[in-house]
Amino acid sequence: MQDLLYFFQQLINGLTIGSTYALIAIGYTMVYGIIGMINFAHGEVYMIGAYTALIAITGLATLGITWLPLVLIVALICAVLVSSSMGWAVERVAYRPVRGRHRLIPLISAIGMSIFLQNYVHLAQGSRNIGFPALIEGGFQFGSEDTFPMSISYIQITIFITTLICMTALSLFISRSRIGRACRAVSQDLGMANLLGIDTNRIISATFVIGASLAAVAGLLLGMYYGSVDPLFGFIAGLKAFTAAVLGGIGSIPGAMLGGLILGVAESMTSGYLSGEYKDVVSFSLLILILLFKPTGLLGKPEVEKI
Amino acid sequence: MKTSITKLATAVGASVALLAAGQAAAEIKIGIAGPMTGPVAQYGDMQFSGAHMAIERINAAGGVNGEEVVAVEVDDVCDPKQAVTVANRLVNEGVRYVVGHLCSSSTQPASDIYEDEGILMITPASTSPEITNRGYELVFRTIGLDSMQGPVAGSYIASQKPERVAIVHDKQQYGEGIATAVRDTLKDSGIEIAMFEGITAGDKDFSSLVTKIKQADVDYVYFGGYHPELGLILRQARQSDVDAKFMGPEGVGNKDINTIAGEAAEGLLVTLPPSFDQKEENKELIAAFDAKGEDPSGPFVLTSYAAVQLIAEGIAQADSKDPYDVAQTLRSGSFQTPIGTVQYDQAGDMTSFEFVVYEWHSDGSKTPVN
Repeated sequence: MQDLLYFFQQLINGLTIGSTYALIAIGYTMVYGIIGMINFAHGEVYMIGAYTALIAITGLATLGITWLPLVLIVALICAVLVSSSMGWAVERVAYRPVRGRHRLIPLISAIGMSIFLQNYVHLAQGSRNIGFPALIEGGFQFGSEDTFPMSISYIQITIFITTLICMTALSLFISRSRIGRACRAVSQDLGMANLLGIDTNRIISATFVIGASLAAVAGLLLGMYYGSVDPLFGFIAGLKAFTAAVLGGIGSIPGAMLGGLILGVAESMTSGYLSGEYKDVVSFSLLILILLFKPTGLLGKPEVEKI
Repeated sequence: MKTSITKLATAVGASVALLAAGQAAAEIKIGIAGPMTGPVAQYGDMQFSGAHMAIERINAAGGVNGEEVVAVEVDDVCDPKQAVTVANRLVNEGVRYVVGHLCSSSTQPASDIYEDEGILMITPASTSPEITNRGYELVFRTIGLDSMQGPVAGSYIASQKPERVAIVHDKQQYGEGIATAVRDTLKDSGIEIAMFEGITAGDKDFSSLVTKIKQADVDYVYFGGYHPELGLILRQARQSDVDAKFMGPEGVGNKDINTIAGEAAEGLLVTLPPSFDQKEENKELIAAFDAKGEDPSGPFVLTSYAAVQLIAEGIAQADSKDPYDVAQTLRSGSFQTPIGTVQYDQAGDMTSFEFVVYEWHSDGSKTPVN
């Protein structure tokens, strides 16, 4: 019984972290699906989302506003607004001018952007860890106190539910809305979509904005969950989310979700049953194994040579 | 024509060399190397603040043998790669004495360069035993060793008679070194080590680790590493109702752990050098810090002050600016500093340095534990 509870506790830990990986991975996978480039500055957009949420929360606290739903909504709106305009600006400044050139050029440009944003936050906010207030505390407990009580905290539940809502909304948006349909058309054939009267520049901008908004949501959630932010916060998370996107099949939105969850669970199971030291070894070995047998990732479609 | 150009070049070269020598004669450059930025910059602040105070006071008292002491500051971000870069920069600037570095993993590669280039280095903060056990002539410290701090922590935990203890470290030289020393001490006392595990510095998610600690049902958790990780572990452990007592080395004992862990930092045990700022004989010096609006209570402020003072006194007593002569003087003498009487052994370690167990509070204050 105790071992079972322990297993479920580690599973919940893994799913929590995995769902936020998935939220960030969407940004990588959508951009790749549409223009075939890796937006390495995406992790930084996520970090800026977390900082903005923190600034908003602190600002509201100094104004004496502590009513939780209001604080969360304001923080969320601020984070999404700042991050998505950041996502839009990054695309305009660093990617649009070099679009259509050799593949390496936008890649270098993306890495440059990532370094720029990281150092910008270093300068503006200082390089120290800043504490993030735990707004949502408490949780449910299962099992007896003397053996091993399994606990699910409210923040973990919030993370699941928010991820679920975001993912469903995104899937509906992509499959039903006009812009969603245009996104799919652009990802299939950018030139043709252009000829058929789709404003491809606008669609590409929209992709960056959507990815950045989801990253901002993840930033707020993870900031609250972990309890601190620093300027390098986005780097590791971005790397993991990128791995999740590749694992699930880059370019595929359900793939990003699946990849995120698998990666999160693999990490927590490794630290739970083996040792935390092997966490990254196992998750990256998993990535290599999957790519060996399925080079396009779990749900990725093989790229058809266009004639 | 050709010869005259060569002659001219030689003349110019010689005069430049003379000029440089002339400048060097007027002042003594002391390099101060530590993190000004990065996740552990607050320790760097302590180091710079202590070293500045020492330089100001030495210059106010007429300098060293009438020469002014000048600080050359460099930022190593507590990153071993950056430490090598800045160490080379100090070499190029003609610095012959260095106070630094702070993180053991930075001090180690930098000290190789200093030893090769004939530069005397005193670290006010690095506690890894590796730094002084390589037979180097010019490497000293004004702080104790992990091999001293680990046993203090280990025997404190053992004295509380816990049934099971978990030990976690950050896989870095400093953290793993102390964690290993604590483990060995506990093993000798016959206490069961339920887990001994490394984490990755910079990680944010410790939920799996915390679950594991909870399941292991331990009484004490010892963490070898720095405050950014321990702060998060404390916070996440509190959220999961882990009731074990946490303990860490001086690398976790600063007020930033309170901003990360909040209430969860209450009751954390930390081994620190004794509060030199509380000593009666340092009253006048502490007043000088207060007058500047600086806080002398950090663990590395007065060790850095002492490092600068030792360099100055070493030069004055040796009556030579050759780092090898100064090193010789430091090894043979006995010096009165704000951190007590300093005497060195052959390795460059202080013959005695004390660590004390403190209990940390959620408001950032600390009280000694007996």
